Amino acid sequence: MSHRPGPTARLLAALELFAAWLLAAITALTFTSVVLRYAFNWSIPDSFDAGRNLLGIAIFWGIALAAYRGEHITVDLLWSALGPRARRVMDAFAGIVALLCLAVFTYTMADKVLSTYRDNVQTFDLHLPVWIFYAVAWVGLALCIPLLLLRLWRQLTRPEAGEPAQHAALR
Amino acid sequence: MNPDLVAIGGFVLLFVLMLLRVPIGIAMGLIGVGGFGLMGDFGPALKLLSQSPIRTATEAGFGVIPMFLLMGAIASASGMSRELFQAANSFLGHRRGGLGMATIAACAGFAAISGSSVATAATFSAVAYPEMRRHNYPQSFATGVIAAGGTLGAMIPPSLVLAVYGIITQQDIGRLYIAGIIPGILAASMYIMTISAIAIARPNYLPPGQRSSWGARWHALRSVWAITLLFLFVIGGLYGGMFTATEAASMGAGGAFVIAVARRTLTRAGFVECLVKSLRTTAAIFTILIGALLFGYFLTVTQTPQKVTQLLTGLGFGRYGILAIIMLMYLVLGCVMDAMAMIILTIPVVFPVITALGFDPIWFGVIIVMTVELGLIHPPVGMNVFVIKSVVRDVKISTIFFGVIPFVITDLVRLVILIAFPILATYLPERMG
Repeated sequence: MSHRPGPTARLLAALELFAAWLLAAITALTFTSVVLRYAFNWSIPDSFDAGRNLLGIAIFWGIALAAYRGEHITVDLLWSALGPRARRVMDAFAGIVALLCLAVFTYTMADKVLSTYRDNVQTFDLHLPVWIFYAVAWVGLALCIPLLLLRLWRQLTRPEAGEPAQHAALR
Repeated sequence: MNPDLVAIGGFVLLFVLMLLRVPIGIAMGLIGVGGFGLMGDFGPALKLLSQSPIRTATEAGFGVIPMFLLMGAIASASGMSRELFQAANSFLGHRRGGLGMATIAACAGFAAISGSSVATAATFSAVAYPEMRRHNYPQSFATGVIAAGGTLGAMIPPSLVLAVYGIITQQDIGRLYIAGIIPGILAASMYIMTISAIAIARPNYLPPGQRSSWGARWHALRSVWAITLLFLFVIGGLYGGMFTATEAASMGAGGAFVIAVARRTLTRAGFVECLVKSLRTTAAIFTILIGALLFGYFLTVTQTPQKVTQLLTGLGFGRYGILAIIMLMYLVLGCVMDAMAMIILTIPVVFPVITALGFDPIWFGVIIVMTVELGLIHPPVGMNVFVIKSVVRDVKISTIFFGVIPFVITDLVRLVILIAFPILATYLPERMG
């Protein structure tokens, strides 16, 4: 029997698809750049800057989604030796620490976006404003906060549901 | 504040947080920024937090990680692992232990397009295990071979763990990859010799399969020539100085995509799944990379690496004695941590010791990857063993650990060989273009 994913799962899948396609774009950009360099001694303007800034966006969005799905790398030695109740307590503690850390990080990153805007930092070839890339990356990071709150709420109220990764809509 | 006290307190808190299942990257970042603030002022510490992570995430050289991940994911999704196994099996399968040898050869081939040990072990648990069981290979041997073969994923280029080592120690990733070629081939050859020795010692233990005709062999080879050519092109380009490591990764991922599409072995949904998988792994790796680089600032202000270097060099054990202590530490850590986390957590402290002792950093990269890979198969927390258990459900963990014993011994012998003959790792990088 197949379950239709809820609106949250569909939204998260869409966000993840966006970030995943960014990875495809970065790869295609670098690949094409190398081919053009050897075939025509020409390179795509800003392929270097665009590639690395898109990578930043994909990573920050990926970090947010991984935090929600509990896919970050952890040491499970103690956790795996505990019973379900103690595991829930430990998960809640880890979730709260992660939430607080990422909240501070989001706040400081906003400062970086603003300072990049004020300093009018631009890409090398096309002089595109870099703060726009940083701002989009920041949105992904900011997404962490509601997502981690949602995860915490799920862990505390519906512990039997398991990790969100197990029922996320992928396609 | 006393820097020694802050450093010790920082490490204790870090391990407590990790034991309480706080994600490793977040724990390292927290201790890094918090410790940096305690040693000076929290203003500069928060400034660090605003600048270091975005610099890490937008570092063009780090693009090597998602792109090589994508290459491996595409190769796996388009069935190349099965074709590699069939090709290796057609040449080796008729020997006693031949299916095991074919598994190792196919793992080595797959490792050349995928940088992950765990991915290699998972893939061949599904591809090679049923075939070995069909030929009455014992469960322990079949799973042990796959667990050991999986470790080749981290040694034969492109290797994720080597890339991360290069990022943290600021060594050229291309040179590290080239350095891994001979030790990787040595590893695969020694595993095959081990299987051969087992087959000679216990003739009925590993029955031979059917001999393939030369026609069948050429047919099997036809299906793997494209991916072999792609690997040679990517690594040849790196060796010849045609590409940077990131460019080589993009050529690998792009090439694997073109081959899979041309052979109609990759669907659109399959490709999207590859992208999503690569993104998820990339995010997990970059979280600990970002945390590790923040933690590095904490180590710098507390001067921990210098103090550890002083302490170890003052013990009077000699450089190889200290190297042995470090490797022993990794084997112990391998009982509780995965390879990536171990490298990221410890290298900032260990690397200055190694360079102070006059060891070659590229050679040490190979040695350390081999050592942490041992942790993937030795008890009690061998990650590859758990991965195999998750795919092959009817096998006991203890059975797999029993099966890997001969390969753990082989690994230890190989480590001794590489320490005695560093040229095995340094010969090729010294001749790079």
